[in-house]
Amino acid sequence: MLIVDQELCIGCGVCEASCAFAAIEVVDGCAVVGDACTLCGACVESCEVEALRIEGAEKTQVVDISAWSGVWVYAEFRHGQLAQVALELLGAGRRLADARGVTLTAILMGSVTGEAAQILIGHGADRVLRIDRPELLHFSDEAYGAILTELIRKEQPEIVLAGATAMGRSFIPAVANILGAGLTADCTRLDIREEDGALLQTRPAFGGNIMATIVCPHSRPQMSTVRPKVMRELEFDTSRQGEIVDVAVLPEWLKSRVRVLESVVTDQDDVNIQEADILVSGGRGLDSEKGFVLMRELADVLNGSVAATRAAVDAGWIKYPHQVGQTGKTVAPSLYIACGISGAIQHVAGMQSAETIVAINRDKDAPIFDVADFALVGDLYEIVPKLIRAIEEQRRA
Amino acid sequence: MKIIVCVKQVPDAKDVRLDPITNTLAREGVQSIMNPYDQHALEEAVRLKDELGAEVVVLTMGPPQAGEVLRQAIACGADHGVLVSDRAFAGADTWATSYTLAQAVNTLGGADLILCGKQAIDGDTAQVGPGLAMRLDIPFVTCVQKVREADASGLVVERMMDDGYDVVAVDYPALLTVVKDLNIPRVPSLKGKMRAKKAVLQTLSAADVGADPALIGLAGSPTQVVRVFPPEPRGERTVLSGTLDEQVSELARRLSAYL
Repeated sequence: MLIVDQELCIGCGVCEASCAFAAIEVVDGCAVVGDACTLCGACVESCEVEALRIEGAEKTQVVDISAWSGVWVYAEFRHGQLAQVALELLGAGRRLADARGVTLTAILMGSVTGEAAQILIGHGADRVLRIDRPELLHFSDEAYGAILTELIRKEQPEIVLAGATAMGRSFIPAVANILGAGLTADCTRLDIREEDGALLQTRPAFGGNIMATIVCPHSRPQMSTVRPKVMRELEFDTSRQGEIVDVAVLPEWLKSRVRVLESVVTDQDDVNIQEADILVSGGRGLDSEKGFVLMRELADVLNGSVAATRAAVDAGWIKYPHQVGQTGKTVAPSLYIACGISGAIQHVAGMQSAETIVAINRDKDAPIFDVADFALVGDLYEIVPKLIRAIEEQRRA
Repeated sequence: MKIIVCVKQVPDAKDVRLDPITNTLAREGVQSIMNPYDQHALEEAVRLKDELGAEVVVLTMGPPQAGEVLRQAIACGADHGVLVSDRAFAGADTWATSYTLAQAVNTLGGADLILCGKQAIDGDTAQVGPGLAMRLDIPFVTCVQKVREADASGLVVERMMDDGYDVVAVDYPALLTVVKDLNIPRVPSLKGKMRAKKAVLQTLSAADVGADPALIGLAGSPTQVVRVFPPEPRGERTVLSGTLDEQVSELARRLSAYL
C-alpha cells in the first residue's frame, strides 16, 4: 500500500496534483490516501521530500532468477513472410544480449518458412529455433502459445520479446499468464539495469501522456511486446554465423479449439499502417469520401500508406483498419502528414511518436499544430495537389 | 445461455493531460466513462441476448464508484451488475487482474461466452482478455470485428489481423475481445435508465471470490512500475511562411530526406 510518512510530509499538495485518480487529499497539512489509489507510483515520483513510498507484501513465490539466461525474440511469420518488427526486435535483442553477455535466439513458427531462419541469423540471431509445420499455416493462439510456453519452460530464457502486432498482442499475454511471467505491452524503450541486469521496460500510458518504466523483479522470463517501427534493425550480414535447430513438437501442442475457416489478406489497399514508413492521414476536414482519393495520390507519390481519424472512419469514408488513435492503431512512422485533422487528443495519442509530423489545416488554432513539426495553414484541396507536384519536381531534380 | 461482459471504468481521455508547468497529470474535471471498447462488447452481448435469448451479466473490478459503469450497462440492456472491489486489489497489474476476474467468473458459476473490449484506453495493454481466458482454460479470439454467425453452441467471427482478417469458428465456452468496428452501441432507453437506477448491484470482495492474497493486488503482480515521467517534448515547430506556393516548395525541400 501507499504509505505517507507523516513526519516528512509538509502538506504541499504536489502529490494531490500528480494523482490521476484523485486518490490523495491534503488534510490538516498531511497527505491522506483514499480508496481510489491504484498504487501507480506517480505521487512517489512527484514528492520532493520523499514522504511517500509504496510497500507491498513482497511476492512469496520467488523463482530462482539466476537459472534463467538468454534473450529470445518471437519472429512473427505470416502468409509466407517475416514481419518487419521481427527484424527490428533482433536489433534490440542483440543489444540486450550483448549487454548481458548471453546468446540471442529467434523463435520461428509457421509453415513453409523457407529462408526465414537464415534471414533471422543475418539480422543478428545466434540461434533459430524453428517449428515449421503444416498445422501452423494459420495463426492459432493455442498452438503458437503452447509451443512457445513449452520451449520457454524447457530452456528458461531471461527475456522474451515479441512484436506488439495483432498476433503478438493476442497470444503473448496468454503465454505470460500461464507462466506467471510479467509482461509489459507496447514498449518503446528497453534497457538493462546496470546494478542487477534487470530489464527496464518503458512504455507510454494514458495515450502517451505519461511514460512508465516497469521491471519484473521476481519472475522470469521478463516479457515485452514492442511496437513496430520503434527499434532499429541491424543491417543484413551474410557473413554472420548461427545455428538453426528444428524443434520437434508434441501433437497435443498443435491442438486448437478455435478453427480458422479462412484467412483473408486485404490487398486492395495497404491496411498494415503500423509498418508503413510514411503515412498520409485524413480527417473530418476532407469533407467527403473523395478526399481519400487525394490522400491516396499523395501517399502514392511518397510510397506511403493512407491513414485516417476516427471521424473519417465513422463517416464511412474509409475502413476501420486505417484508423489511427485511441480506438484505432498506434503508429510511429518516419513521416506523418495530417490533412484536415484537428488533433483531438484521442488521435494525437496514436501518432505523436512519429518522427516528423506535417499538419495541413484551415484552422490556424487547431491543436494538431501543437504536435506538428511543419505547419501549413490553408485549404488542403489547394495545398495537397501543389505538394504532389512539388514532390514530383523534387524527385526529378 | 449466459454471457458475462467485462467492463472497466476509465478516465475520459479528452480530459487527461499533463500540466505543462508541473509535468503532472491534471485531474481537474476528469470525467469517468465506460471504456469505449467495452461499450461495443456490451452492445454485442445485448444483441446476442435479443437474438438467442441469454442472461447478460456485466462485471467490473474497481473502486466502489466503478458501480456507475455497471448501472450504465444495465441501462443499455444488461441484466445484472457485479462489482469486484477490495482495497487488497490495489496495484494489480494485468496478471493479478486476470486472476481476480477469473476467480469472480468462477464464483458467478462461469459463462458460455465472455466478452471484453480489446483493451482499456488508460492502460492500452490488451492483456487481460487473453489472460482471463487462459486462467479459465477456455479458447479465446481477440480483436473481433464481426460476428458472422451465432447460435446456442458457438460462433463464427472475423478476427482483425494486421494484413486483413481471419474467419474463425469457436464453440462455447469461449472469450472474445472486440474492436469498435463490431457494432454501434445503443443509447440507453428511458425505461433502461429507470431500471438501472433501481438495480441492486452485487458486490464481491477478495474473500468472496476466494482469492489467494498472494496472487492479488501489488503482491500478485509480476510487473512493478519503478518510474513515471513525462514524455520527451517534441522539437520546435516550423510555421512555413510566404505564399502558399513558396510554403509548399519549402516543405517539399524539407521533406527531401523522405523522398
